[in-house]
Amino acid sequence: MENKTSLKIRNLVKYFHEPETFQVLKGVSFEVKKGEFLSIVGKSGSGKSTLLYVLSTMDTNYEGTLQINGDLLTGKTQNQLAAFRNEHIGFVFQFHYLLPEFSCLQNVMLPALKLGKYSTKEIEHKAYESLRLLDIEDQALKSANKLSGGQQQRVAIARALINNPSIIMSDEPTGNLDSKNTQAVLDIFKGLAKENGQTIICVTHDTDFANKTDRTIEMADGLII
Amino acid sequence: MAKSVNIQIASVHLTSKFWQTFVAIMGVTFGVSMYIFMNSFMNGVNKTQDDLAFSALSHIRIYNHDNNYSYNPIESQYDNSQTVFNIHNRKSIQYTSGIKNSSSIVSLVEKQEEVVAVARQINFSVFFRSGSKKINGRVSGIELEQEDKLFKSSEIVTQGNWNNLQTHKSGIIIGKLLAEDLGLQVNSSINVLTSDGVSRNYIIVGIFESSLKDIDKTKAYLNITAARQLIGENSDYASDILINIKDRDNTVPVVKKLGLLIPFQIESWQEANEQLVAGASLRNVIAIAVSFTILLVAGFGIYNIMNMTINEKIKEIAILKATGFSGNDIKSIFLTQAGAIGLLGGFFGVVLGYLISLLINQVPFNVASLETLPIYFRVQDFVLAVVFGVLTTLIAGYLPSRKAAKVDPVTIIRG
Repeated sequence: MENKTSLKIRNLVKYFHEPETFQVLKGVSFEVKKGEFLSIVGKSGSGKSTLLYVLSTMDTNYEGTLQINGDLLTGKTQNQLAAFRNEHIGFVFQFHYLLPEFSCLQNVMLPALKLGKYSTKEIEHKAYESLRLLDIEDQALKSANKLSGGQQQRVAIARALINNPSIIMSDEPTGNLDSKNTQAVLDIFKGLAKENGQTIICVTHDTDFANKTDRTIEMADGLII
Repeated sequence: MAKSVNIQIASVHLTSKFWQTFVAIMGVTFGVSMYIFMNSFMNGVNKTQDDLAFSALSHIRIYNHDNNYSYNPIESQYDNSQTVFNIHNRKSIQYTSGIKNSSSIVSLVEKQEEVVAVARQINFSVFFRSGSKKINGRVSGIELEQEDKLFKSSEIVTQGNWNNLQTHKSGIIIGKLLAEDLGLQVNSSINVLTSDGVSRNYIIVGIFESSLKDIDKTKAYLNITAARQLIGENSDYASDILINIKDRDNTVPVVKKLGLLIPFQIESWQEANEQLVAGASLRNVIAIAVSFTILLVAGFGIYNIMNMTINEKIKEIAILKATGFSGNDIKSIFLTQAGAIGLLGGFFGVVLGYLISLLINQVPFNVASLETLPIYFRVQDFVLAVVFGVLTTLIAGYLPSRKAAKVDPVTIIRG
């Protein structure tokens, strides 16, 4: 189990065509093991975020191949990929991005309701568990836009966990958090990787944060250094 | 399960922006209510017009009018195209006119289940004379009881009595304006001269006033037996047999059925009065055009609001897509919103349309036989109004929802 491959990319190449054609990724290949906590670092423009969005399956405009849990995802339709993301990938974005009109609890529940594997009652129970894990259960029924940045980030992590995804991806998860909250997020991610065997991939420019992860990939000019 | 999430999201979107939703619903409400009001009003107008028309018009008329003009005796002898022939000054011979054995036809017609009333008439042109005054007009020889059943003729007799014709062998009932023109009152004597030169005196036993001036000026009623005597026809003669059926809009099958049984011309009111049918259809076209315009405007309003909503929520759409909602899910979320707006608008539109119609029905309008503006409700107008309302909103919501489905989450989330 320990050495099972969670995610594998081969020779990823990507161009931006606006405002002029520019090669962002120049042939990137690596593997991530199951339960590994990986961080990708690099300067602005190094292509690290672009790489993450390709890994996330949201960006399909690339050359090369992407495999997650042994499934080849390159060439699948948008709808297939959406269903795959729903079940296997959890996201935490830089600006927490909750749905402001919904309560925290609803925000957490939505991906599970979409998946439709469990009854609403079970999902609610699981959502509360997730929120408790992140120590934010008491805010569950508040509307998402009434929370502070750190709290919102935790709700976003709880949402990423709800479907027990095999991979959690995160773009600058601590980008606008103070050191206390940053530490909390780091601890949560570490726990998930160790205890649940979930793979974590974080893009960050916070070297302190990166140093505490299992492995760090550094990127520059579209290549891994 | 997944479907209900979409509905849940749609309902949150609708309730969180109350005023926007309200305005969109009001747009549909006005469209639907105007559709109902316009159509109910036009139906009312059509119905009033028909009621007026049918005070002197039967649903089906049977008559005998020989039209053998096309018969060519020479052509039938020489069907060889080599022969050249020419006829000068051709004349038609009148073989028959009118129905000689009317009672057998009447009993045939009465057997049809659709038929409500049958009346025989003898109609012909005459001169009415009094002193030196001479007025061109028409006499109707009628069967009192049956005629009354068809046209409620006894109700238009203002002086004297309709049934006087029955008892008074030489009685006549004439139009009010005709009486005034000739300077005659009830119990005066009037001379009638037929086209064959037969002249006879009658006693006026009644004066009628219908809603049609032309008729009041030229028409007189005789008992059918008196009319037969006047023009020298047998005791079973009639020029027209008039029929009323249960559903006057459904004359075609009845005419067809009677056509197989009866060797005379059979004409429905629609054929005889195309202007009535045309007037009704034109008014319907106007009603539909106006209400569709309103629905169209409402549709543009909804399109606008949906577009705005989607632009506002573009971030949230990106999140939903990132967490696994497909393009179709997004589309169905926004179509659900449009559908809900359409249904709610349709419901309120039905209520409002009904109330407006009731209100308009109270507006005084004293022309002809009317007292207030006419309104006539039909279930199909209400059903169609809701159907059109919902369809318009769905179409108006579809284009923006397609745009939402195409949102690329990467460009939004990366900023």
